[in-house]
Amino acid sequence: MIPQYYEFYCPVKIISGLKALSNLPYEMDLLNAHRALVVTDQGVVGAGLIRQVERVFEGSNCEIGAIFDQTPPDSSTEVVRAVAKLFSERGCDCFVAVGGGSSMDTAKCANMVVLEGADDLMAVQGVERLKKPTKPFIAVPTTAGTGSEVTVAAVIYDEQTRTKMGFASQRLLPDVAILDPKMTMTMPSMITAATAMDALTHAIEAYYCLQKNPVSDAFALAAIKLIMGNVIRCVKNGRDETARLAMANGALLAGTSFSNSMVGIVHALAHGCGGVCRVPHGVANAILLPWGMEHNLEKAGAIIAELSPVLGGSTPGSATDQAQAAIQAVRNLGMRLKKLCGLPTTLREAGVTEDELAGIAKIAINDGTVALNPEEVTYEGALEILRKAL
Amino acid sequence: MSLKAKQVGEPEKTLSGWLSNMDRASQYQGLSVSYKAKRVVARMSLLALGVAFEMASKHSVELQSELADWEDGRVFSLGVLPDGPSVSLRKQGDRIQYLGSGQDDAEIKILFKSIDSALLMVTCRMGSHTAFAQHRSIVHGNIAKAVQISRAMSIVQLFVAPGFVLKKICKQPPKLSPAQLLLKARILTTLPIAVLVAMRR
Repeated sequence: MIPQYYEFYCPVKIISGLKALSNLPYEMDLLNAHRALVVTDQGVVGAGLIRQVERVFEGSNCEIGAIFDQTPPDSSTEVVRAVAKLFSERGCDCFVAVGGGSSMDTAKCANMVVLEGADDLMAVQGVERLKKPTKPFIAVPTTAGTGSEVTVAAVIYDEQTRTKMGFASQRLLPDVAILDPKMTMTMPSMITAATAMDALTHAIEAYYCLQKNPVSDAFALAAIKLIMGNVIRCVKNGRDETARLAMANGALLAGTSFSNSMVGIVHALAHGCGGVCRVPHGVANAILLPWGMEHNLEKAGAIIAELSPVLGGSTPGSATDQAQAAIQAVRNLGMRLKKLCGLPTTLREAGVTEDELAGIAKIAINDGTVALNPEEVTYEGALEILRKAL
Repeated sequence: MSLKAKQVGEPEKTLSGWLSNMDRASQYQGLSVSYKAKRVVARMSLLALGVAFEMASKHSVELQSELADWEDGRVFSLGVLPDGPSVSLRKQGDRIQYLGSGQDDAEIKILFKSIDSALLMVTCRMGSHTAFAQHRSIVHGNIAKAVQISRAMSIVQLFVAPGFVLKKICKQPPKLSPAQLLLKARILTTLPIAVLVAMRR
């Protein structure tokens, strides 16, 4: 069914496959950029991935002007300002983010600071506030995961107000996303599982939330197929390059989907869990996904039912039966991942206590994603889901 | 594209002139009667929504409960891009204060991309969540605070829109209690006068 109105935008050039990373200097040159600021974190450095990035510049007409490798798991305004300052001081003309969502968000926001000259990021907070073109930006994800290499959003923590600031703009999208299977092979099995569930949640929520459209649906379905077909392989054998590349593509497709049709209550609650209890985002999504799907059964059951075949839960019966089968398929996947790598399946296992649920629910109902959830999200409703997931 | 074209002097005593009088900002060259009329409807609807916000905040327990979490002095606005009609409001104590038209001082702005998009929501043909889902509106400022404002607006809409409209635009068809129905009747009967008073502010 075609929605009454929709918008879809994804101009990111996608480069995926064998030796994809070696195209990095060429892509920079195409963007008329020759001096990169690499934004990354200590984990990526420790895994030897930055050495791989440095190697590809050999013999090219481009160079690395600076490397910022201090990106924390949750980026902040101070980090963003430091990156922007380094960019200007070293005469760089291109951002290259190598890492997970935090490195990507840091690069996106630093690009904004460089563009707007804004010392105060709060002045550009919100949706579609950027009008000028940003500096060239190439994303090299090392998780399969957040999909940040194709999303319009960035979130960073403001130390002064102690709140998270959200930014959404088409200008924040990278110019190029490079998926090289070697860049995700060092991910430990638990992180592989958690980031895969993050990607799966993106795709599933994008498929049934209110902003869904035929284009995002196509991306979501393709993402779910790739993730369901490869996540177990990746968790069992991290050196399986084919499976790693499939997962990276699945995460990118899921990211494209949700960037254009948003997510809903699962992410709202996961953001709350992250904010209050520091539960990793992928872990929270993995635990909350089946409960969020259940919460939306009345309003979006028929749509959720359409996912049953691709989730591997197909069963004869009504749309309700199919929707229940889809939810059970997600639960089964969670149980399998728990057996394989210890991925938590309850909030308690993830370290959440009952007295923290109220705080999580309070954050969740003010999350930007709740407007797009098919079912109304109330404080009591959010609390009920959290209690069930505990 | 800006609407700041040349003003054409005193409006004539025509329908176009009358509409221009209703919305001073629409005294621009080249705007059609229908466009000017849309601006007037948007302006009046936003004004009514702003005044209803103020009225509801005085008496609605649900709205007051929602406002309890807001910081004092929060100024927010609803408006139409690029320089269309707009209204500003402020949270003062446990109430909302209607500040008038314009949005320069607003910390959070909910902006409709066009007059047509604005009319869909302010004339209750679409809920605020649908308007956001369909990219009809954007937010300048903190998104979490904008979500709170949107939720408060939904509560205000309960008191100004007819029941059959609410069933269509709300995610959950609301069931108003007798106290809420009484308040709704009170707001609807006094809203026209309140709007006229507000126009003179």
